[in-house]
Amino acid sequence: MLLAERIIDGAPFDEISFDLCSRRPDVIMMSADLSKYTQLNRVKKELPDQHLDVGMAEQNLISVAAGVAKAGYVPVATTFACYATRRAYDQMMICMGTGPKTSIVIGFTPGIANPARIHHQAAEDLGMIRAIPNTTVIDPMDVTEFKQALDVAVDLPGLVYLRGHRGDTPRLLDPERYTFELGKTCTLREGANVGVVATGHATQWALEASEILQKDGFDHSLLHVPTIKPVNESEIVEFCFAHDQIVTVENHNIVTGLGSLVTEVVANVGRGPRITRLGIPDVWAPGGTLAHIRKELALDADALASKIRGVCQ
Amino acid sequence: MTGEQSKRVRALELIAAKIRRNVLDICMQRGGYAGQGVALADIAACLYFDEMRSDDKGWFHDRFVLSNGHDAIMTYGALAEHGSYSLEELRSYNEDGTKIDQSPIEGQLGFEITAGSLGQGPSQAAGIAWGERHQGSDKRVYCLFSDGELQEGNVWEAAMFAGHQKLSNMVYIIDNNDMQATGSTTDVLGVEPVPEKFEAFGCAARRVNGNDIPEILDAFAEAKHIKDKPYVMVCDTRLFAGIDCLQEALPTAHYVAAHSADWQAGLSEINTTLAALAD
Repeated sequence: MLLAERIIDGAPFDEISFDLCSRRPDVIMMSADLSKYTQLNRVKKELPDQHLDVGMAEQNLISVAAGVAKAGYVPVATTFACYATRRAYDQMMICMGTGPKTSIVIGFTPGIANPARIHHQAAEDLGMIRAIPNTTVIDPMDVTEFKQALDVAVDLPGLVYLRGHRGDTPRLLDPERYTFELGKTCTLREGANVGVVATGHATQWALEASEILQKDGFDHSLLHVPTIKPVNESEIVEFCFAHDQIVTVENHNIVTGLGSLVTEVVANVGRGPRITRLGIPDVWAPGGTLAHIRKELALDADALASKIRGVCQ
Repeated sequence: MTGEQSKRVRALELIAAKIRRNVLDICMQRGGYAGQGVALADIAACLYFDEMRSDDKGWFHDRFVLSNGHDAIMTYGALAEHGSYSLEELRSYNEDGTKIDQSPIEGQLGFEITAGSLGQGPSQAAGIAWGERHQGSDKRVYCLFSDGELQEGNVWEAAMFAGHQKLSNMVYIIDNNDMQATGSTTDVLGVEPVPEKFEAFGCAARRVNGNDIPEILDAFAEAKHIKDKPYVMVCDTRLFAGIDCLQEALPTAHYVAAHSADWQAGLSEINTTLAALAD
């Protein structure tokens, strides 16, 4: 299902949003003065009736969007993940999360995918939103999955939170051979010994590490878990209990994110494998380029490969 | 006032008195926000029985958004009179296991949003108004919130948005009772001058005596003639307005417990009022 070569999309959301709005006149793309930075340009220009900007006010973005949903539309509120979740958490929970109307929030530059440290980074968004009952939380690994997940999201009830991709985001999954299904996990490498579980952007990092490990002849598996909620417990349990060691990799604080989720799922069964959680290790991440931040947090390909190999020692 | 107008006002005064009686009946079972429900009865009578248009299913064509959850008692009192709820079921208000929440959740009959987290109604109402206008609907949107909520920043984000979007199909109704959870709004954090603040945000605003039915009706009528601006009715009210003995006994009661000794006197007074109005 992976493409032979990685394709770089310069402004993926521009086409994703335009394509969706062209097919679905009931979708309203919403911004809070960040349309340029979430790459929401074409809808704004060519389908202006399907774009609504509330200005630099994220609480209003979410609560107005909830109202737009109650008027019969499908709002897609777009901003950076840090603002959507931290600034407007109560509005997401109360205005969107307690009712049945489809209300989508896309959090861009999640985790460490933003060069401005701390305030622009969202290392806790997945944990915050998955703690809200009845929500859907999706962390797509690439542009192909992002597009497909959004297509699924517009027909789901209630609050749906997606992490977004922007900029020079590689396209790894072949849309001809991959179909996103809510809750479905995806095995990217089958092996034994160590099982790696990853989500979102970090699945790309895990794939990079996996390539190194494969060259070294280190046997391992890789499971991609795009749907954080509702979680597919049986597939995660089946994968984890087939390995002696599990390593989770996420673009998120290791507290409350994928690592915590896998630990909870395995603990529910009991007597499971040891789980090593890799991600932002409950510290303030540094700023700068993504490559620099990954290096600093030992999340670059070499460091990840080394840590995955190291769990067997 | 013409004879027809006088008749209309008289009919609404009778409905308001019935709403007050319903509010006492409901709250005296296990306690509740009786002071707010009683004070808002005149606004509720005008809103539900005169201003909002009916649809062909016995419900309302126009949309009402309650922002401050504890004022749900006003809606319960009014919808009991409308026939949408029975008083029997409403008497379970504040009972463990009841579906009649003191602060209701989205989807309960009469409640468009989950209303308990204060300051979130005005922006949701603005989103609804924007959506209704966007699809060419003639529905009008009414949103009730309190003066205490004006301390929440989200309210002013909503006002800025509503003014910018020229949402003339929306009316904000502010329960300006100078009372919030821990005391007088004036003392906790003053919010006046309220009309001038909303005008500065691009709205048309007017101060209204929230217990004067002709004045409330006049404001609703004026709102329909305002072009390109949302309309804000800053309704001055006081807890228990309309039942003198309770207003005197409990002037600052944000919440009244079931064991209060004042319920019977209040019921007696409102029944006397009802009898006089029914003549």
